[in-house]
Amino acid sequence: MKYKILKALDIAGLKVLDPVVRLAYREEPREQVRKIILFIAIPIITFCAFLVAWAYIAPRHTTKSGEVPTPSVVWDSAKNIWVFHQRENIKEEDFRVEGEEREKRIAEVTALLEKLKPELEKADEQLNKAQEQAKAQTQQAVAPLMAVFEKTKEQFKQAESDRKKELNELAKTIKDGDTAARAEYLKKVDAHIKQSDVETEQLQVIKSRIDVVMNPKHEGLIAARTAKNRVAEQVQFLSKRLENLGDNNQQQKVLAAKQALEEKKEKFSEASGRALYFGAMNIHRAEDRLGRIETSTYAKPWTFPAQIVRSLGCVFLGFVIATIIAVPIGILCGLSPVFMAAMTPLISLFKPVSPIVWLPIVFIIVGGFIDDPEQAPVHPAFLSSAITVALCSLWPTLVNTAFGVAAIDKDHLNVARVLRLGFWNRLFKIVIPSALPLIFAGLRISLGVGWMVLIAAELLSSSEGIGKFVWDMFNNGSSQTFAQMFVVVFVVGIVGLMLDRTMIVFQRLVSFDGAPTAI
Amino acid sequence: MSFLEMNNVCIGYGPSNARTEVLENVNLSVEENEFVAIIGFSGSGKSTLISLLAGLEKPDSGFVRMKGRTIDQPGPDRGVMFQNYSLLPWLSVYQNIELAVKQVFPDMKKGERVEYIQHYIDMVSLTSAEWKKPHELSGGMRQRLSLARTLAMKPEVLLLDEPLSALDALTRSVLQDEIIRIWEEDRRTVVMITNDVDEATIMADRIIPLTPGPKATLAQDFKVELPRPRDRTTLNFNPDFKALRNRVTKFMISVNEEAKLLRTQRNLKCPDIQPISLARVG
Repeated sequence: MKYKILKALDIAGLKVLDPVVRLAYREEPREQVRKIILFIAIPIITFCAFLVAWAYIAPRHTTKSGEVPTPSVVWDSAKNIWVFHQRENIKEEDFRVEGEEREKRIAEVTALLEKLKPELEKADEQLNKAQEQAKAQTQQAVAPLMAVFEKTKEQFKQAESDRKKELNELAKTIKDGDTAARAEYLKKVDAHIKQSDVETEQLQVIKSRIDVVMNPKHEGLIAARTAKNRVAEQVQFLSKRLENLGDNNQQQKVLAAKQALEEKKEKFSEASGRALYFGAMNIHRAEDRLGRIETSTYAKPWTFPAQIVRSLGCVFLGFVIATIIAVPIGILCGLSPVFMAAMTPLISLFKPVSPIVWLPIVFIIVGGFIDDPEQAPVHPAFLSSAITVALCSLWPTLVNTAFGVAAIDKDHLNVARVLRLGFWNRLFKIVIPSALPLIFAGLRISLGVGWMVLIAAELLSSSEGIGKFVWDMFNNGSSQTFAQMFVVVFVVGIVGLMLDRTMIVFQRLVSFDGAPTAI
Repeated sequence: MSFLEMNNVCIGYGPSNARTEVLENVNLSVEENEFVAIIGFSGSGKSTLISLLAGLEKPDSGFVRMKGRTIDQPGPDRGVMFQNYSLLPWLSVYQNIELAVKQVFPDMKKGERVEYIQHYIDMVSLTSAEWKKPHELSGGMRQRLSLARTLAMKPEVLLLDEPLSALDALTRSVLQDEIIRIWEEDRRTVVMITNDVDEATIMADRIIPLTPGPKATLAQDFKVELPRPRDRTTLNFNPDFKALRNRVTKFMISVNEEAKLLRTQRNLKCPDIQPISLARVG
C-alpha cells in the first residue's frame, strides 16, 4: 500500500509529498522530518516572507488606480470575482427555470429582499450619518484655513491694485523722448507682474493644503460606504433575480408571446377585406417573435472562470495544431538529412519571431476566410489566438522530435535492418517509440510556451479569455480592477503549473528507461 | 564450396587521408552446422567481422557469401546477437520476441505464435519475467532475452558478437552451458566472437585467431577435437584440453608481441620531464 501511494505520487509529479507518506508509515522519522523541513517548510516560509514583503511595499506606491493592492485586497477581489461568477450562474438558472420551481424561487428571493430592506435602510442611515459627521469634521478643519486663505487673497488683491495705481501715476510723469525713464518704467512693470505671479503661487499653496484637508480618509465613512455597497449590491442582485424569474423569464415571455399570437389569430379569423391582410401580417410577426424568444438565451456576461475555461480551450486547440504540424515534420527532419537541411533555414528564421508579430498577420489571414464573425462556428479571434499559439509553440516540439529521431540508438536500427522491417514498421515500431520521451519533453516545453503566448494573443485580439480579462481590467482602471489583475497573475501561474505537471505525468508514462524527468 | 565464406575481404574507415584499414585479406570458410569461435584482442575488428557476415556493412573489396550467394543486406536468416544486447527498451520481454517473430513468420496464427514465443522464453529460462521491461532485468537475463529473440527467428547462421563479455564469471559459465545445450538440441551454424580462450575451447569446433589490428586478418585455425558433450569440471583435467588452450594462448600472446613491436617503432619520443615535489613548494 505504502509503495503504491509513493509510486502514484512519483508518477503524478508530487514527489514533494513523499516524505509525508513515509513519515506516516514511520520510516526513518528523522530523515523524513529533515526532508519535510527542506522541501515543504522552507518553500512555505519563503512564500510567507514574499507575502509580507509585498504587503509592506505595495501601499507605499500610489497610482492612478489607487495604491498597489496588498495581498489581502487581492484575496478579497479574488473572492469578489468568484461571487460575481456564482451570481451570474444563478441569474442564468433563474432565466430558464419553469413552473413550480420558479414559484418557489420567487418566494425565496422575495423573502430575502424583505429581510434586506431594513438592513439597507439602516446602512443608508448610517452612511448619511457618517457623511454628516465627516462633513462637519471637514468643515471644522477647513474653516481656519479658509479664513487664512480669504484674508491673504484680500491682501494680495489690495497690494496688486495699489501697485497698478502707482504705476499709472508714474506713467503720467514720463515725458516724450525720455528713453531712460521709459526703460526704467518697463522694468517696474516687469517686477509688478512677477510679484503678482509669486502671490498667485502662494495662494495656490494654501489652496492645495485646503484640498488635502477637504478629502480626508474618514475611516468611519469608508466603512459605512462599503457596508452600504455590500447590501445594495445584494439587493440589486436579488431584484435582478426577481426580474429574471418574473417578466424576464424565458417561459413567461414564451407564454406571453403565445397568448399574443392566439389573439392575433382570433382577430384574423374575424377580419375581412383590408384588415385580413394586416391580420395575416400580424400573425407572421407574432410567430417570428415567438421563435426568437424560444431560442433566446440569457445574455450572460463573461465571468473570469468562464474565461479561464475558454483560454484553456484555446491553448489546447493551439497545442493540438502545433503537435500535428511539429511531430511529423520533426520526424521527417530526423529521418532525412536532406529534409533537415531544407528545413533548417525556415526553422531558424521563424523560431525567434514574437507572438506579437504573428498575431496581426494571422488575424488578417483568418479574417479573410470568415466573412461574418457572428455567424462563424468558431470566432475568428479565438481561431487566430489558437493559431498564434501554435506558431509560437511548435518549435520546441519540432526541434526535440528531430533530435530524438536523429539520435536514435544505432543498435535499434540494426535490429530493424536484421529483421528487414519495412519503412512504416520501422517508423512505428522502432523510431517513434525510441524518440517518444524526447518528443514529450518537447511537447511539455511547447505547452508552457503556448500558455504564455496565449495571454498576450488574447489581449491583442480581444478573444474572450484571460488576456481579454486583463485588458478589460486595465481599461477600467479602478482600484478594484487593479487588484483583479493581480489575481490573474496567480491564476495564470497556477494553471500553467498544473499544465506542466500534467505533461510531466505523460512524459513519465512514455519514458522507458525509468529516467527521472526534470522538476 | 562451404556454407559461409569470406574471400579476400578488406574494409576500412575514415577519409582517404586518415584511413584505418580494419580488416585486410580475411579468408574464412565455415561448414554447415559447424561451431566456429573467432578469438581476438579488443579493438582488432571482431565486431566489424560480424557486421560483415550479417550484412550490416559491405566490404571494400572481396566478398562475403552464404550458400554461394553474395550477402549484400542483413536478414533474419543470419541471426545476430549484438554485444550490447540491443533490446528495445520500451518493449517487454514478450514483445521484444514478438516483434521479431511477427516479422519473420507473418503467416503464423495468433495462438500458435503465443505458444511459439513462450517456448523460446522457457528455453532461456525467462519464464515469469515475460512482462518485464529490459531495464528491470539483470545483465544475464537481458543477454538470454537477446539469445531467445535471435533463436526465435530460426536463423540458418547464428552470429554471436561477444555474447557473454559483459557478464560476471558465474553467469557467464551458466550461459555458456545454455548456449551449448541449445545448439546441441537444434544444430545450426554458429560463428561466435570472443576474447576468452577457455570459452572458445569449451564451446567451439574450431578456433580461429584474429591478429591484432589495424589490418587485422585471420590466422591459422585450431581444430578442437574434444568429444561432446564437454563437461566443464572434468575438462579442466583433460590433457588435450589443457594443451590446446596453452597453444592458443601462446599463439595469441606471440602475435600480440609482434604487433606491439610493429607499433612501438612509430611511437613518439617522450619528453624528459621529472615531476616536482609539491611538498617543497607548498
